[in-house]
Amino acid sequence: MASQLSFTGFAWKNLWRRRLRTLLTLVGITMGIGAFVALVGFSRAFEHEWMRMYTSSGIDIAVVQSNLLSSSIDESLATKIGAVPDVVQVSPMIFNLMDLTPEVNALVYGWRANSYELDSLTLLSGHRFHEGTPEILLGDLLASNLGKKAGDMLSIQGTSFTVVGIYHGGSALEAGAVIMPLDQMQIIAGMEGKVTAFHVKLRPAPAGETYDEYVKRASAAIEAALPGTRAYPAAERAANNQFVALAHSVAWGTSAIALLIGILGIANTMAMSVFERTREIGILRALGWKGRHVILLILAEAAALGFAGGLLGIAAGWGALRLLSSLPQTASIVSASVSPLHLLESLVIAIASGLLAGAYPAWRGARLSPVEALRYE
Amino acid sequence: MSSPLGACSPILEARGLVKSYDEGRVEALRGVDVKIDAGEYVAISGPSGSGKSTLLHLLGGLDVATQGQVFFNGSELGKAVDLDTYRSRQVGFIFQAFYLLPTLRAVENVQVAMLAVNEKANHRAERAASLLEEMGLKARMRHFPNQLSAGERQRVAIARALANNPAMLLADEPTGNLDSVNSAHIMEILRGIREQRGMTMIVVTHENDIAHAAPRHIRIRDGRIEL
Repeated sequence: MASQLSFTGFAWKNLWRRRLRTLLTLVGITMGIGAFVALVGFSRAFEHEWMRMYTSSGIDIAVVQSNLLSSSIDESLATKIGAVPDVVQVSPMIFNLMDLTPEVNALVYGWRANSYELDSLTLLSGHRFHEGTPEILLGDLLASNLGKKAGDMLSIQGTSFTVVGIYHGGSALEAGAVIMPLDQMQIIAGMEGKVTAFHVKLRPAPAGETYDEYVKRASAAIEAALPGTRAYPAAERAANNQFVALAHSVAWGTSAIALLIGILGIANTMAMSVFERTREIGILRALGWKGRHVILLILAEAAALGFAGGLLGIAAGWGALRLLSSLPQTASIVSASVSPLHLLESLVIAIASGLLAGAYPAWRGARLSPVEALRYE
Repeated sequence: MSSPLGACSPILEARGLVKSYDEGRVEALRGVDVKIDAGEYVAISGPSGSGKSTLLHLLGGLDVATQGQVFFNGSELGKAVDLDTYRSRQVGFIFQAFYLLPTLRAVENVQVAMLAVNEKANHRAERAASLLEEMGLKARMRHFPNQLSAGERQRVAIARALANNPAMLLADEPTGNLDSVNSAHIMEILRGIREQRGMTMIVVTHENDIAHAAPRHIRIRDGRIEL
């Protein structure tokens, strides 16, 4: 049986004839997609973990200072929020990312000892902290990374704290975090009398009103009671808090640059390929190939580069996420989980990048006059 | 296809063909009129630069004239007839330099012409194999062009030209890169194809014996047909 030549087989042969160039181009697009998978995957997982934390703690609304990246509100406003109808509990809190050791940093929360958020944590050993004393609780992941157990000491920002308990939380952000009394956190953060946010728990939604409508109405009531603050539904706050916003910005910005480099690599490869194959394109045109056939061939080659680079990039990005999630420096904020939708999105972006990069070379190839192309030396 | 010029119209007709380059400073053809009937075997000869290849390119729809028209079965090329479709379905080209694609095997080089007309994959492979067998290349189907002799390459090119069962074969110096033995073999193959298939054949050549062997011989000099 004679070998069959298909359109895609022809495209593959064209790519394979310049193996080194094809492989180098693949490296470029792999890096772009790998960066997208790892960084955007990380930032989305980060947001997801934030939402899990809110959900597991029963937080319905986060109240923060409006128009400021770093929120700072008087702690005394908790009383006013508590007076808003439908509010059942208010938890003033501070959170920040802090260096615990030169190698390990972690999210540090300052909560009141009676905060309802503590109820969502499972205490694995020890006991809860007391206000007014330098005591901390460690998430089990962080305790493991630091090699600490209940009764040990840990220095944070120059203050020595006693680890009074180890807990397990519902999200990676809690498992890799430190929780201390709010007053202690105010001291080391230089925020006496101030908090970053109030986490509000509402009564159950009344009949006839959806949860979303109810939370929005309650948020509006809180904002009306406390001018100068913003009350975000938990899901919205999970997506727009300063850490997540920063992670999203860095992830998309870096990925965009990496993808642009990958796209330029494919464009360069396809432009060179069309230039080198001028006479061959002339032959195809002489055989009756229409301009659109030539466009399809070149776009198929470019899309194949994008597809292969996409698959390799997904593998590389996922590998990078797994590596980051296993390092003590980043384990507390990086999750290795990547959603299938994100992988599909990465592959679509990779193929679209290939098509975008191949568009101009394809258009040029299709415009070649058969007789001029045949004369090309 | 409609034939406004009537039932006796030629398969190919050129009227007042002018082809100039370099913004009119160089004229390759200076008003050429020619009619070629279906099934005719025509040789076009002339010295280098006389315009014979240019005429073949215009008749084959590879290029467009600066002035004048080419009609295929009475329909004007480039207007009533799409040039790409014309080249893929009605014309089989054979070139002096073979113009095979180096990354494709012989059998794939034949199939590549059929990709332009959306032939089914299994039919493409079968037809390519059959044509190569006809050309005496059954054992060389899976060879790449650089593994074939010049004569074999030209036979692959002939098989490719026949791939879409065209109405006409247009050959531009088909023996120009071949020794005398291979030249004679190729011309014998072309003669056989014409006789078996009744195809119209136009051969551009500068070799007198090939030109004189054709029933009709058109001479070109300085872009004009010599009467």
